[in-house]
Amino acid sequence: MAKLQRKAKGERPTFFQDPNVDKILSMVMGLAGEVAVLHDRLDTAERLLEKSTDIKRSDIENYKASAKVTAERAQWREQFLSEVLRIVEIEQEALANGDTQDYGDAIALVDGSSRE
Amino acid sequence: MSNALPATTQAEHQALPKTTHDEFARQEFVRSYKQYLVKNVHGGNQLAYEQRVKPKFRQENNRDPKDRFEVRDEMVNDPHYQMFSALLRTSQEMMWSSCQIPVQRELESLNKKLNKKRAKPRGSLRMDSSLEIPRYHKSVDIHCQPGGYHTEFSDQDASAGMVYDRAVHIYAMGQMGPYNNDIGASIALWLQETRPEFKPLRILDLGCSVGHSTVPYVDAFPKAEIHGIDVAAPMLRYAHARAEGLGKKIHFSQQNAEILDFEDESFDLVVSHILLHETSDKAIRKIAKECHRLLKKGGIMVHAETPQYKGMAPFDAFMLDWDTRNNNEPFWARSHEIDLMKLSKQAGFDPKKEFETMIPSAFQIAEAKRSLTFQGGDFGGGGFWFIYGNEK
Repeated sequence: MAKLQRKAKGERPTFFQDPNVDKILSMVMGLAGEVAVLHDRLDTAERLLEKSTDIKRSDIENYKASAKVTAERAQWREQFLSEVLRIVEIEQEALANGDTQDYGDAIALVDGSSRE
Repeated sequence: MSNALPATTQAEHQALPKTTHDEFARQEFVRSYKQYLVKNVHGGNQLAYEQRVKPKFRQENNRDPKDRFEVRDEMVNDPHYQMFSALLRTSQEMMWSSCQIPVQRELESLNKKLNKKRAKPRGSLRMDSSLEIPRYHKSVDIHCQPGGYHTEFSDQDASAGMVYDRAVHIYAMGQMGPYNNDIGASIALWLQETRPEFKPLRILDLGCSVGHSTVPYVDAFPKAEIHGIDVAAPMLRYAHARAEGLGKKIHFSQQNAEILDFEDESFDLVVSHILLHETSDKAIRKIAKECHRLLKKGGIMVHAETPQYKGMAPFDAFMLDWDTRNNNEPFWARSHEIDLMKLSKQAGFDPKKEFETMIPSAFQIAEAKRSLTFQGGDFGGGGFWFIYGNEK
């Protein structure tokens, strides 16, 4: 079978000093995506099992999420992304709260010895 | 409670490729990921700029950065901007990948289905295999769709269209409506409201791709004969199948908007939807000239784009410019700085009849509750579209 081209033509930009960091970030997000896929599959299986203990793979394939389930899953993904990307939120919270004091200041405040 | 899916869910239609349970879940993740970046990461750039980047620049230069270039020189070294950019670029790549998977799985049968001869087609499809794909379209794959709009991977291939129709919906985070038709629908609505006497009988959509923006004109102007052109064969094959599946009469043809084979003064309305920034300095002038040639007296050309940088704060222009370097949009920056009045004038239009304005999104009017979110250099979701055009 014919194969679709997978890479978009054009030099890929890098954003970090070490381009391998860019690659690792993409791997992390790729993995996060696959976790979300597993989550939805498990969620489907659980919802089907609540109705009948006799379920087949095809039942999972044919499952149509209702508006309520669609909204619940979207909410789950938002929470999930917030957990995975917590470190990115931390930096922004620090900036937003003016929490940018040098940690050395906190040490100097309590350190009574004359060491530097 | 109604069990109808939210308006931000893509409507299923005959041409749209089917997904397995997991393929759909993967696409849904990308949509959430993009929404998350808009909501929770994009704003951090402004914080980093105001609190880290600008103060440092002031200290060193005794002034603020004067333009988007100076902002960029500093921001590219900011760790939050780096993280945001790497995440956004990755989301774009994951979007295309997640939309390719179901198409690749059934490529041959999907192509067969889409190309099936229709007994009584409403519209038509006219192909030109000798058409040369413009160099500006081939140099990089625009907005990172692998193979761009034009590459054919098998006989009578329509895969680019199949991938694109789904990806646009994810990219716009559903905010262009269940049929991705918001740009065309917004222009049609704007025309109806501002020019109730204007009843176009022949309409042309330039660079129509899958015809998602073309379709709303069929509903808005039911008496009009509607044409859509594009250089990309795979998009047009899909566009034709899509329009027929939706029961909309549109005549598609494979042509370059710079040199069209339609007769002089044969259209009342010529439109394009985020096409101009995919062309070039030379091409955009030729396209404007073609619009002038094709329009009847009293006809109108309308091009939808994202807003021009002129008058924008340097930081905002810098953010809107993200796609130029990071999303395979080489003409994005320049196209946002073109003197549109001059463009009209060189094409033969009367500059007194030129217009540049923001128009409200038709989908937003219908969905007052939708959230208003910008993705960072991007269209789709601001609640408004920028249009430029001229009456003849």
